[in-house]
Amino acid sequence: MLHNFKYTFITLFKNKALIFWTFAFPILLGTFFQMAFQDIENSEKLHKMEIAIVENERYQNSPIWKETFASLSNENNPNPLFDIFFVKEENEATELLKKDEVVGYLKLEDTPKIVVQKSGIYQTIFKSVVEEIQEQEILYNAWVQKNLEDHFSGNSQTPIDATWYQNLYQEMIEQLNTETKVQDITRSHLSYTMIEFYTLIAMAALYGGILGMTAINQVLANMSEKGKRMAMSPISKGKLVFSSVMASYFVQLIGITLLFFYTIFVLKVDYGNHLFQVVLLALVGSFAGLSLGVATASILKVSENTKIGVILAITMLGCFLSGMMGITMKYIIDKNIPMINKINPASMITDGFYALYYYDTFDRFYNNIVSLLLFSFLMLALSIIYLRRQKYDSI
Amino acid sequence: MNVIEVKNLTKTYKQLKAVDHLSLEVHEGEILGLLGPNGSGKTTTINCILSLLKYDEGSISIFGEEMQPNAYHIKRKIGVVFQELAFFEELTVYDNIDYFCGLYIKDKNIRKTYIEDAIHLVGLEEFRKFYPKQLSGGLKRRLNIACGIAHKPKLIFLDEPTVAVDPQSRNNILTGIETLRKEGATIIYTTHYMEEVEILCDRILILDKGCIIASGTKEELKSLAHIEEKVTIEDVALEDPQIKQIRKLENVEEATYQNHSLCITYKQGKNNLIALIDYMKEEGIHYSKIYSERPTLNDVFLELTGKELRD
Repeated sequence: MLHNFKYTFITLFKNKALIFWTFAFPILLGTFFQMAFQDIENSEKLHKMEIAIVENERYQNSPIWKETFASLSNENNPNPLFDIFFVKEENEATELLKKDEVVGYLKLEDTPKIVVQKSGIYQTIFKSVVEEIQEQEILYNAWVQKNLEDHFSGNSQTPIDATWYQNLYQEMIEQLNTETKVQDITRSHLSYTMIEFYTLIAMAALYGGILGMTAINQVLANMSEKGKRMAMSPISKGKLVFSSVMASYFVQLIGITLLFFYTIFVLKVDYGNHLFQVVLLALVGSFAGLSLGVATASILKVSENTKIGVILAITMLGCFLSGMMGITMKYIIDKNIPMINKINPASMITDGFYALYYYDTFDRFYNNIVSLLLFSFLMLALSIIYLRRQKYDSI
Repeated sequence: MNVIEVKNLTKTYKQLKAVDHLSLEVHEGEILGLLGPNGSGKTTTINCILSLLKYDEGSISIFGEEMQPNAYHIKRKIGVVFQELAFFEELTVYDNIDYFCGLYIKDKNIRKTYIEDAIHLVGLEEFRKFYPKQLSGGLKRRLNIACGIAHKPKLIFLDEPTVAVDPQSRNNILTGIETLRKEGATIIYTTHYMEEVEILCDRILILDKGCIIASGTKEELKSLAHIEEKVTIEDVALEDPQIKQIRKLENVEEATYQNHSLCITYKQGKNNLIALIDYMKEEGIHYSKIYSERPTLNDVFLELTGKELRD
């Protein structure tokens, strides 16, 4: 077994075509991703925007508006959204807008009034923020109304003053946070292009199936001349298959490890802080790729090159559907045909990393791990049915 | 003692009967030749004997035991050299032999000796560290043989081991096979090169359409042919009456004249050439070359099947 493991490992490792697809290609693709998406990310990165606010009485008396804008423009905030020019009169704000010194201005009247000169991402964000605060204000007013009614209907001795309003405001914010389970997504590299690298890992893991397929082909008498020679050896088919599969898994893990090192240390990809889960997902994902390769080798009676083509096609399609060429595809599939991504191993791996990075709980992550294991065992069970044959109708 | 006993072996591929109720025995220490044209069932017979292929009926025993895919104690004593090259392009000559030998021999020291013996047997001493892509076709064939026999098997199957090799490699391979026999191996040798069979084999089975159509030593087989001698005269100009006259010479079975070449077959006798030369002298017929041949296995095959071995 060790003898076969050793030589299978060497032959796989020295096979240039295999090493290209399983080692070099993912690294090259990762580099291209980085080159392409870095520019996109940089060009789309939000900078602090200048706005003007007319500091009228209505604004002065509204704690929600004041506190929210103070928070969003706070110098201590590592990523402040606004740089605010407070003006007394609207014409001063108009002047700033004309000089293009601000992207827009806000004047609170009965309803908030936003004035911008052109449309764009900054103007849209400004408008969205104002609308969000306005909604909070409505909620706050309703909350105050309710508490006032409760106050007067009860026998409360607490005086209604500024502190009362302040406490009420804090209470409302806390309750809102509890009800909506707001999560911390303030990680340093929060970026939609992360999904590309997750699919890249998925692709590399599934491409490892080519290694498994090649290793199995080498020991099957109906697949290769070498397999005929192996079949005539005094080593059982089970031992040969097992040691060959283990050797290919080992080579695959070396490839995945290299890719991780490259993406982490060269491309500066952030996989989060859950090292154990990242390693677990890489191991299970590679196992799924291996199983796919073993099944392809065992079930399909076609040439080795055709089998490689089948694995590449399945992997690329899987990665495409899980968002490699744009995250939109993942959302479209998740929304319209969720079953596809439930049986797509590339999607399971991608979603596993996604869940690990964006969620604070591990439920979704472990669902993906279980799905990948089920997929792997199904592939291996199918393979065993075919591998059990000892004699062939034709070779 | 019979090393192999095959009884009534039949194998069909859909409509085609590849092996048709074939029975054979292989005696210990002999080289048995399986001779037949391409598609005659030689390789299929071997694959059935080796338990690689399913067969429809019949029984196969090797070393007195029924051959099964999991008869590993039997497989341990068998070496196979398949028709197609079966080694790893990624391994050197030495590593390839070590790999396949290592499936049989665990002890590294013994294995080392066996590998050196195999390398010496096929004459690859200078190519130990070469990769297959650096070898010529003939050297690859030699490596293919070394990978199959390095573990010193008692029973060796050689399936067309000399296909498309240069004369030097062919001689080397044939000498190696002789050596293996001298060392005590029993060999089944399939080929469609009758010259090799004549040189190497103790007994010969001639196959056609999955059936054994003749068997015996080369002398026994040649006696099956009705011709005794074949004379060919090249670059000769003959008139029709002269050809008719030659056909009337004693023992002449047939005379064909084509492209200034005359081919005469004789039913019997060994001194027919003298009478022919006398006639040519008498008639003043000039020619560039004249030679006499004994019947070949191809003649036997031709007579038995009506077609050439290489058809």
